[in-house]
Amino acid sequence: MTTPAPTQRTTSQILIDLLMLNVGKISAIIEQQGHKIFGQANLLSKEEINDYSLEFLELVVILLQTGTQLDRRSAEFGALRKFFTSFSQQIQARGSNLDEFVRYIQFLQRVFLDNLEADATVDFAQSRAILLLLGSIFNDIILDVFHVYLEEKERTIQAQQEELRQTSTPITEIWDGVLTLPIIGTLDSTRTMMVMENLLSRIEAERARVVVIDVTGVMAIDSQVSHHLIQMIRAVGLMGAEAVLTGIRPEIARSLTSLNIDLGKVTTRATLSEGLKEAFRRLKVEVHQGKG
Amino acid sequence: MIPGIHLTPIGEDSVLLEPGEGLDPTDPDAYLVPLLGYLQKQRARFLIYDLKSVALIDNVYYEWMTTMNSLCMISGITMVATNIRPYAAFALSQQIAGNPPFPCALNVDSARRKIRGLAAPESDPDT
Repeated sequence: MTTPAPTQRTTSQILIDLLMLNVGKISAIIEQQGHKIFGQANLLSKEEINDYSLEFLELVVILLQTGTQLDRRSAEFGALRKFFTSFSQQIQARGSNLDEFVRYIQFLQRVFLDNLEADATVDFAQSRAILLLLGSIFNDIILDVFHVYLEEKERTIQAQQEELRQTSTPITEIWDGVLTLPIIGTLDSTRTMMVMENLLSRIEAERARVVVIDVTGVMAIDSQVSHHLIQMIRAVGLMGAEAVLTGIRPEIARSLTSLNIDLGKVTTRATLSEGLKEAFRRLKVEVHQGKG
Repeated sequence: MIPGIHLTPIGEDSVLLEPGEGLDPTDPDAYLVPLLGYLQKQRARFLIYDLKSVALIDNVYYEWMTTMNSLCMISGITMVATNIRPYAAFALSQQIAGNPPFPCALNVDSARRKIRGLAAPESDPDT
């Protein structure tokens, strides 16, 4: 039985040999770095790091066994990429950042190269081929991880926007046919659109007849904001409901006067409770204090 | 029978108008005279314009509505717009400068309540 001369070995074979000969050492280095990055930050347990390290080495060997040329569509490469995608998702969910993970992947690549240096039988051309192969593999993995990170960020931003959307328009049916909409902060075009969309849909769904819009939480008002408010009140009217504007603070009232904003056709009340009384009056609802 | 418009007397001196797909708001002359003729024949005092099937009220459509409202007012008929879709209300509120010249109601029942109030101002419009 003859063994091929070291110079005749393929790039993949050199790497497989390297892994087989130094598996204990490489595995220990990878685990050590894993503990340093993920263990100290409590992102992964010791067992998880060890499992991940072993699985990674196994998948690399399986991939290298497919040949010298990297086939990006192969199931083996797909498995390695999937491994890193899941790994990335898991540690990202636990609060890791992208930098740490990318550095870890680069470290994995460097471990192979460091061990390659010790092999005197590998010539320059082979080293170059190995470097290119590893570069292709790890660059694709880093790109995958980057995409996972971006997708996760996008999902987080969307979830936060939805949450903000819900909390910024707390429309409540406070009585049959009476909706209250407290506005807090500033009303810009985007927010007005959002609030109006929600409010008009709620009017239709709840068959609301009166909407009390409370602006106690609006700190400042300019011509644009007042214009948005008037539009909102007009839209409520078009839906067949009546709007009562409450909580106009003296400074806001002064600003509206300075801006020549005419709220003459808008029903206003000083406070939310006065607004509710007005809504009840319109619905012919009487609230009496109970005996005792 | 007016093409593009479905008219139904619903009692209490009211007629319900439901626009169909064939209605062309750019040509009000084709509708206004026969419409008024019908309303007068029915001795209607109120016209409930049901906008349930109108997804968007643009300038042309709004102009058609205001023209019809003017015609009704001249003839002593009150027009009430009803069932304006949320998106249509939203878009229209941004197009028009002031409140529309006709009253609006959430649905036909609300319109009828409103009409009762208009017919007898001293009583409550919503009861």
